[in-house]
Amino acid sequence: MSHVYPDWATDWMLHAAAAIAFVVIATGLAQTFFNILQLLFAAAALSTRPPIPRSATLWRRYSDQAPSISLLAPAFNEELTIVESIRSLLSLQYPDFEVLVINDGSRDGTLARVIAEFGLERVERFVDNSVEHAPIRGFYASDALPRLLVIDKENGGKADALNAGINACRTSLFCAIDADSILEADALLRVVRPFVDEPHLTIAAGGTIRIANGCKVDSGRIVDVALPTNFLALVQIMEYLRAFLMARLALGKMQVLTVISGAFGLFRRQRVVEVGGYSHGTVGEDMELVLKLHRHMRDLKLPYRIEFIAEPVCWTECPESLKVLGRQRSRWQRGALECFAKHRDMLFNPKYGRIGFIGFGQILLVDVIGPLVEVLGYLLLPLLWALGLLALPWLLAFLAVTFTFGVFVSAATLILEEIQLRRFPRAYELAILTLIAVLENFGYRQLSNLWRLQGWWQFLRKQQGWGAMTRKGFGSAG
Amino acid sequence: MSALLALWDASLALAGSTIAALVILLIARLIGGRRGDNRDRIRQQLTRVLLTGETEPGGSSRLHAEIAADLTAELAELVRGSDRERFLRNAEALGVTTALRRRLRSATAQDRLTAAEALALFPGDTGREAAIALDDRNPDVRLGAALALAQNHIAPPAAELVRKLGLGTREQSMLVISLMRDLVETDPRGVEAMLYDEELPDAAKLAATDALAASGMVENAPLVAWMAGAAKHQTELQPRIYRALGRIGHPGGRDAILEGLGSPEWQVRSAAAEAAGKVGLTEAVGPLAEALGDAHWWVRFRSGEALAKLGRTGRDRLGELARNGSPLAREAASATLAERKLA
Repeated sequence: MSHVYPDWATDWMLHAAAAIAFVVIATGLAQTFFNILQLLFAAAALSTRPPIPRSATLWRRYSDQAPSISLLAPAFNEELTIVESIRSLLSLQYPDFEVLVINDGSRDGTLARVIAEFGLERVERFVDNSVEHAPIRGFYASDALPRLLVIDKENGGKADALNAGINACRTSLFCAIDADSILEADALLRVVRPFVDEPHLTIAAGGTIRIANGCKVDSGRIVDVALPTNFLALVQIMEYLRAFLMARLALGKMQVLTVISGAFGLFRRQRVVEVGGYSHGTVGEDMELVLKLHRHMRDLKLPYRIEFIAEPVCWTECPESLKVLGRQRSRWQRGALECFAKHRDMLFNPKYGRIGFIGFGQILLVDVIGPLVEVLGYLLLPLLWALGLLALPWLLAFLAVTFTFGVFVSAATLILEEIQLRRFPRAYELAILTLIAVLENFGYRQLSNLWRLQGWWQFLRKQQGWGAMTRKGFGSAG
Repeated sequence: MSALLALWDASLALAGSTIAALVILLIARLIGGRRGDNRDRIRQQLTRVLLTGETEPGGSSRLHAEIAADLTAELAELVRGSDRERFLRNAEALGVTTALRRRLRSATAQDRLTAAEALALFPGDTGREAAIALDDRNPDVRLGAALALAQNHIAPPAAELVRKLGLGTREQSMLVISLMRDLVETDPRGVEAMLYDEELPDAAKLAATDALAASGMVENAPLVAWMAGAAKHQTELQPRIYRALGRIGHPGGRDAILEGLGSPEWQVRSAAAEAAGKVGLTEAVGPLAEALGDAHWWVRFRSGEALAKLGRTGRDRLGELARNGSPLAREAASATLAERKLA
C-alpha cells in the first residue's frame, strides 16, 4: 500500500504516531513492570504468610479472645434468597457474632418473608447516630434468635444501608457482606486473625471473593467446587483469581491496599465512624472507604495496617449475560474514577507515603489511563499501519508480546493458586482455565475495555445509580 | 531489526515458559492425585491403628510415619483422657515423634508450628521437646508453641516465656491473654511475679492480672490495687483495665471506676460505665446519670446499660431522666428503658 502526502502532513503524522506509540508503549511497559512486581509480592505474601492453625485449633485458641463481630448484610429486593442467606450467616463458626440484616426499603416481600420465617417481633434499639443514613422504620428480633436483628429502613442504597448497620451495631468490629453471598463457615475466624495478632495496628482486613457459578450449593454452603459452563463466568473466574490472588495479595503485602471488596470486609468500627462511614453519592463506596481510612490514619500520623488475607473465602454469583456484566464493569470503572477524582490530592503526595505513590500510582495506571490507552492502542495501531506509518512486523510483535504476557500473568496466578490454596479439586479444571486465559485475549479483553470506556463516559457525565444486577440465585447454581 | 526479533523472542519465551509451567502443573496434579489415593488408603489403615492399636500389615516406611504424624496432629486433640494416652502410645510406636522432631526443623513455618503443637501433646520429655520452637525464627510459631506447651501444662517458667516471646513488646497478640490463663494453672506465682517486674510492659502485666484474677488462685486485692494504680496513667490500656476491673468485680476497684467516669477520654468513660454496671456500683448512679448526657454515644449507651443493671435505683433514675433530662439524656434513657421493656 502506498500513499502520497504533503511533507508537512507526513511530518505531523510521523510525530503524532511517535508520540502515540510512546504513550502506549510506556504505559504498557509500566503495567508490565507493575504486574511482575505484583506477582513477586503475591508469591512472597503466600510463601511468608503466617502458619494457619486448623479450624479446630483456631476455634480453641480464639474462643476466648476473638473480638465480637457484627455482620452487616444489606438486602434490597431479595425475597427469593434472603431466608437461606440468613440461615447460612447464622450458622457461621465464630465465638461471638451478631447478624444485622438491613432491609434497604425493598419493594418486594423481603421484610415480610424474614419476619414470618424467623418469627420476629418489632423491638426497640438504642442506636448511635454517628454516620448518616436514611430514616430507620423499625427493628425486628426474636428472643429465640438472639444473634439476629433486622433493621428496616427507607431506601438509600448499599452505602446508606451499611451506615445504618454501623450505627446499630455494638461491637468494635463489623463485617460488611453482601446478603446474597456465601461465607465459608470459618471465614470470620480466619479474617479476624490480624485483629487478634496485631490489635493495636489493624483497622481493616479483606478476604478472597470467588465465583460460585457452577459450584454445588446446599443449605447455604458450597459443597462442591466446580467450574461453570458459561464462558463469561469462566472468564470472570480467571479475572477474580488475578484480582485477589495476585493484585490484592501483593498490594496487601506492600501495605498499599486501596480496596476491600464490599462483599466481604472486616473493619474496626471506631475508625470507620471517624471517617464518616460509607460515602453517599458514589458507586465505589467500598474503595472510597479504604481510601478515607488511609487518609485519616496518615493525617493522624498513627501506625496502622490494612490487610488482605487469601484464605477466608466469600463465594458470590457473577453475571452470565453480556448486558449485566457490561453494566457491572462500567459501574466499577465509574466507581474507581470517582474515588480517584475525590482523593486526587493523595496522588504522588509525599504526605501519604506509599499510598500516594504506589497505591494511587496503581489506580492511575490500571483504572484511570489503562482502558484509555489500551483502546487507543487497539484503534490507532492498525490505523497507523494502514496509513503506512507502522510496519506490520512491529505491530504483530507488539500484539504478540501483549497477549503472551497477559496469558503468562494468568498462568502465574493459577500456579500460585495451585501451589498455595488448591481449591479446584479436578485437574482438568486447571486445563480449562488455562485455555480460558488464552481465549479471553481475543474478544473479551477488548469488550471489557469498551465497558470501562463506557464507565469513563458515565463518570464524565456524572451519571449516578447502580443499574439492575440480575442474579439467578444459588438455588439454581450448579 | 534486532529489537524486533527481541520482541518475538520475548513472546516465544513467555509462551514457552507458560506452557511448560502449566504442563508441569497438570502432570504434578495427576501424579499427586495418584499419590493422594495411596495416601488415603494408608490414612484409613493408620487411623484404625492409632485409635485401636491393632497392627496391620502395610509397612512402617517414612511415608507411614509422616501420614501418622499428620493424623496425630489432626486427631489427638479430639480424644480425651485414657483414650488420648492410648492414641499417643500408638502414635509413638508408629514413629510419629521422630517425624515430628524432623518437622520441627522444616523450612516451612506451617510444618514447624503443627509439629510443635502435636509434639506438646505427648507426655513427659517428648512433649517438652516442643519447647525448641520457642526459639523459632517465626513469631507465630513461637507463640503457637508457647500456647501448646502451656495448654498441656509443660511450659517453661513465665519469666522465660516473657523474654523469649517478647510479650508486650514484640508480641502484642490478644492470644497472650489465653497463654497467661493457661500458665496461671501451673505457675501462678511466676505469673504474679510479672506484676513486680519493672521492665515488663503494662500490656503484659494486664494480661497477667486478668488471668490471675480469673483463676481465683491468688489474692485479688493486690491485683486490683495494681490495676487501680495503672488506671490512673493515661495510656491506651486504660479502657482494658476498666473492663478487667468490671470482670473481677472486686470492691477495691470502686474508687478507680468512679474516677474513670470523669476521664477526659470517652473510651475510658465508656469502659468505666460498663464496669460500674458489672460491679453493681450503686454509688455510681449519680455520675452515670450525668454520663447519660455525654456527647459520645458509647458513653451514653454504656451508662444507660449500667443504670438498668443497678436495680430499682438505677431504673428509677432512668425513668426520671426520660422525663426531665437533657435532650441527649432523655433520648438515651427512654431508648434504654424501651429496649429492655422497662418503660
